Amino acid sequence: MTVTESARAVIIGGGVNGTGIAYHLAKRGYTDVVVLEKGYLGCGASGRNGGGIRQQFSTKENIILAMESTRMFEKLPDELDTEIEFEQGGYLVLAFTDEEVEQFKKNVKLQNDLGLKSSFISAEEAREIVPELNISKVLAGTFNSTDGTIYPFPVIYGYARAARGMGVDIREHTTVTDIVTQGRTIRAVKTDRGTIETDTVVNAAGGWSAGIARMAGVELPNRPYRHEIMVTEPFKRFLEPMVISFQHGIYFSQSRHGNVVGGIGNPHEEQGINQRSSLWFMRTMAKTLTELVPRFSAVNMIRQWAGLYDTTPDAQPILGEVPEVERFFQVNGFSGHGFMVSPVVDKVTAELILGETPSMNIDGLSVTRFKGMDLEMEYSVVG
Amino acid sequence: MSEKRIREHPVLDFQRKDGFFFDFEGKQVLAYPGETIASALYAQGLQRFTESKLLKRPRGFFCAIGKCSSCIMRVNGVPHVRTCITPAREGMKVERHGAMPEFPDTTLPCPKVKEENIEVAVIGGGPAGLSAAIVAAENGADVHLFDENTNLGGQLVKQTHQFFGRYEEHAGTRGTDIGKDLAKRAEEAGVNIHTNSTVLGYYHKNKIAVDAGNRLEIYGCEGIVYATGAVENFLAFENNDLPGIYGAGGVQTLMNEYGVIPGDRVLMVGAGNVGLIVSYQLLQAGVDVVEVVEAMPTIGGYQVHASKLRRAGVPISTGHTVKKALGNEQVEGAVLHELDENWEPVTGTERTVECDIICIAVGLKPDNHFLRLAGCKMKYVRELGGMVPLRTETLETSVEGLFVAGDSAGIEEATVAILEGELTGAAVTEKIKGGSEKLLAVKKRARAGIEEMRKGPYGQRPLEGVRACTFEGVCPE
Ligand SMILES: Cc1cc2nc3c(=O)[nH]c(=O)nc-3n(C[C@H](O)[C@H](O)[C@H](O)COP(=O)(O)OP(=O)(O)OC[C@H]3O[C@@H](n4cnc5c(N)ncnc54)[C@H](O)[C@@H]3O)c2cc1C
Ligand SMILES: Cc1cc2nc3c(=O)[nH]c(=O)nc-3n(C[C@H](O)[C@H](O)[C@H](O)COP(=O)(O)OP(=O)(O)OC[C@H]3O[C@@H](n4cnc5c(N)ncnc54)[C@H](O)[C@@H]3O)c2cc1C
Ligand code: FES
Repeated sequence: MTVTESARAVIIGGGVNGTGIAYHLAKRGYTDVVVLEKGYLGCGASGRNGGGIRQQFSTKENIILAMESTRMFEKLPDELDTEIEFEQGGYLVLAFTDEEVEQFKKNVKLQNDLGLKSSFISAEEAREIVPELNISKVLAGTFNSTDGTIYPFPVIYGYARAARGMGVDIREHTTVTDIVTQGRTIRAVKTDRGTIETDTVVNAAGGWSAGIARMAGVELPNRPYRHEIMVTEPFKRFLEPMVISFQHGIYFSQSRHGNVVGGIGNPHEEQGINQRSSLWFMRTMAKTLTELVPRFSAVNMIRQWAGLYDTTPDAQPILGEVPEVERFFQVNGFSGHGFMVSPVVDKVTAELILGETPSMNIDGLSVTRFKGMDLEMEYSVVG
Repeated sequence: MSEKRIREHPVLDFQRKDGFFFDFEGKQVLAYPGETIASALYAQGLQRFTESKLLKRPRGFFCAIGKCSSCIMRVNGVPHVRTCITPAREGMKVERHGAMPEFPDTTLPCPKVKEENIEVAVIGGGPAGLSAAIVAAENGADVHLFDENTNLGGQLVKQTHQFFGRYEEHAGTRGTDIGKDLAKRAEEAGVNIHTNSTVLGYYHKNKIAVDAGNRLEIYGCEGIVYATGAVENFLAFENNDLPGIYGAGGVQTLMNEYGVIPGDRVLMVGAGNVGLIVSYQLLQAGVDVVEVVEAMPTIGGYQVHASKLRRAGVPISTGHTVKKALGNEQVEGAVLHELDENWEPVTGTERTVECDIICIAVGLKPDNHFLRLAGCKMKYVRELGGMVPLRTETLETSVEGLFVAGDSAGIEEATVAILEGELTGAAVTEKIKGGSEKLLAVKKRARAGIEEMRKGPYGQRPLEGVRACTFEGVCPE
């Protein structure tokens, strides 16, 4: 089947950002939009992640982004009339080195200045929050009680249902194969099921976004890296917060259904699109988890899987337009923390598409920052 | 609690010596060597094994072969143990914990890890896996066979009836004997046999992880034959989660492998071969079968089996199904109704039967999560019972070196499972060690046998199914 159609905007990628942007556009009456997803909704990182919602970042931009996003997540169940299982059990961040202790003190200071009520705590206090924790090597920690976890699927499907209800066309199992440009203008998006004429394209293709950009002749610095994750058998609630350690690259939390969900990054992971499960992960996750909480030794992992981190050189996302092509909006490069900031990102992207002044200034996150600029590193990255 | 162990049986002889005790929630429970925790508890009359997550409804076991998690309990402080495949041991401490146990307060020593490179791994010690292992080992391959049970033989272990297969070697022999025979031959052929060893997963490329109790074993394999059999289908009706509603295979396992009867009065749902055979075996064990119901307008299994039941006075009602199960803590009866030609219930045909067990025999589906994990291309083929891997004529999947045989490749019967095992055993050996006259002959004979099996009236369905998923050359997308 090949037909030529047209749309005001085409969004590439049916993850939390693709569907979220479609929702925000539709809410503003901009409904002549097609979302294209090569698999099913959420088959990318959005349906494979840890669901962690954290506001404890080390840069001002990320902190503000995450704080406002958290407020929006709190309202999302009412807005979408759906249960998203947002458990605000806090995030407990553990420090294992002196450098971390220093960095964490700075982080908390900055966070507090911006209005986030995070606190710097001792190892003992960390154990009061998670009594099962082995604190023998923990030097200190930080805690923020309004952080938490979300079950990703209802968010994605909630956005999609609402957007569809307002007239947005969301197509699964449709792969974008090319972006047709003429000079600096976009003409059309080609898929394996036909061509859609449009002058506006959103690149929300996660780990595949650099490849999508290349279709329009745009080079992005982000690269895909596999990141693995697992789930254990379910237990009565025993773990309130998400626990993370940048030192180990590990995070874990307990979902509302009782299962513990967690992942660990492989520092030697090779770049590339690879979503296979590895033995390295299974063994390292089991070992590290039992080091931090020895009682995990009597627990089985029941599933492991993998998704893609879309990683930029400074571990910060790429948002907004690009210099080479007009109305080609980037929403990618989230480097492993794209779910938690998606509410603001999606709203702001919708505003940009509508030609409005965005409600939050995101100029600093434009791709142009990589041109000979000094990069401001986000230190608080897991994995 | 009343004792449910079978004392006398026309075919089987349950030798029970050296009984011992373990602790179940403060009570001492008798068990014999070879029994699982679940079978020993069931023998004492325990029906409520766990409960549902939200409504806390009672739940009994279901599959009895480690595939459904309905039987999980805390054993020596470790939660979520599948009691149906965990051998009972003297002095162990067992307690129920429902669907959401407390986080364990035990710590276990870090398991040892063993890593080894081997030639052929055979996963599953049923007729398919055993046959593959025998052929490969007899032809010079270094073969390791893994099975999560204590006893080899897979589903054959519990088949006390004379076989309905036509394959020259085994027709007329009892399944139990074929299983034992294959297990013995595998041992003689020099297969390295690993029982109580669950294969956990596939890792790229052709590596398998095995849970061997207190040890994690990792094998890099040149070739793999995957033959873990099938999972029983379930049926939707009101109250279908009550203890007392079990898979036919589960009941068969309990009865013929562990010598424990499920109850006193059984309603059998499904009149295919499995439903008919298990009904007859229940009669043999002294259990009353009140009725066999079958939704289809005709009996699906062989007439011989149906006739035996009729002679014993068991009514077989075609065009009937279960509307709901009765009872609160466990099954006390069932409401049946008739179905019209469109499978719609006929009003006014409802009637109640009294029974304490409802046995579900509505087909099997291939167990092959492992293959999906390995990235094998899969296809839904209704004639083979569900999702199956695409395969070559010698049952190699789209992942090179990974073969599939038996029910995991598609639901058929044990004779085909044996032949497919032989075929894959020869093909994998050929791949690793190079071809030989002897291997060629095994392949030829196995293929002729399979073809012959699929010529009969019951072979039509699988034949169509296999055609739909067999490829030549490069695997299609
Ligand atoms: C294991 C793991 C754990 C994580 N944990 C967290 C966490 O705890 N908290 C957090 O905030 N973030 C986490 N992340 C990151 C987060 O999941 C991502 O940043 C976020 O989901 C990105 O969403 P997205 O919609 O931009 O991209 P994705 O969800 O990746 O969506 C992109 C979509 O584009 C589709 N696509 C690609 N190419 C094409 C094409 N040619 N045509 C059509 N469609 C195409 C893909 O199929 C995919 O569905 C984690 C990521 C992983 C992998
Ligand atoms: C009640 C009943 C009656 C039957 N009667 C007949 C008959 O009369 N004639 C006939 O031809 N056929 C009969 N069959 C069918 C026949 O039993 C099966 O087709 C045959 O057993 C399939 O063999 P298999 O080797 O593929 O699988 P199975 O016999 O099921 O063996 C699979 C083995 O794999 C092991 N395993 C599973 N998962 C793992 C894992 N992760 N790690 C390690 N090991 C694992 C299991 O423990 C099991 O031992 C009957 C079936 C039933 C249920
Ligand atoms: S896993 Fe034990 S009854 Fe199914």
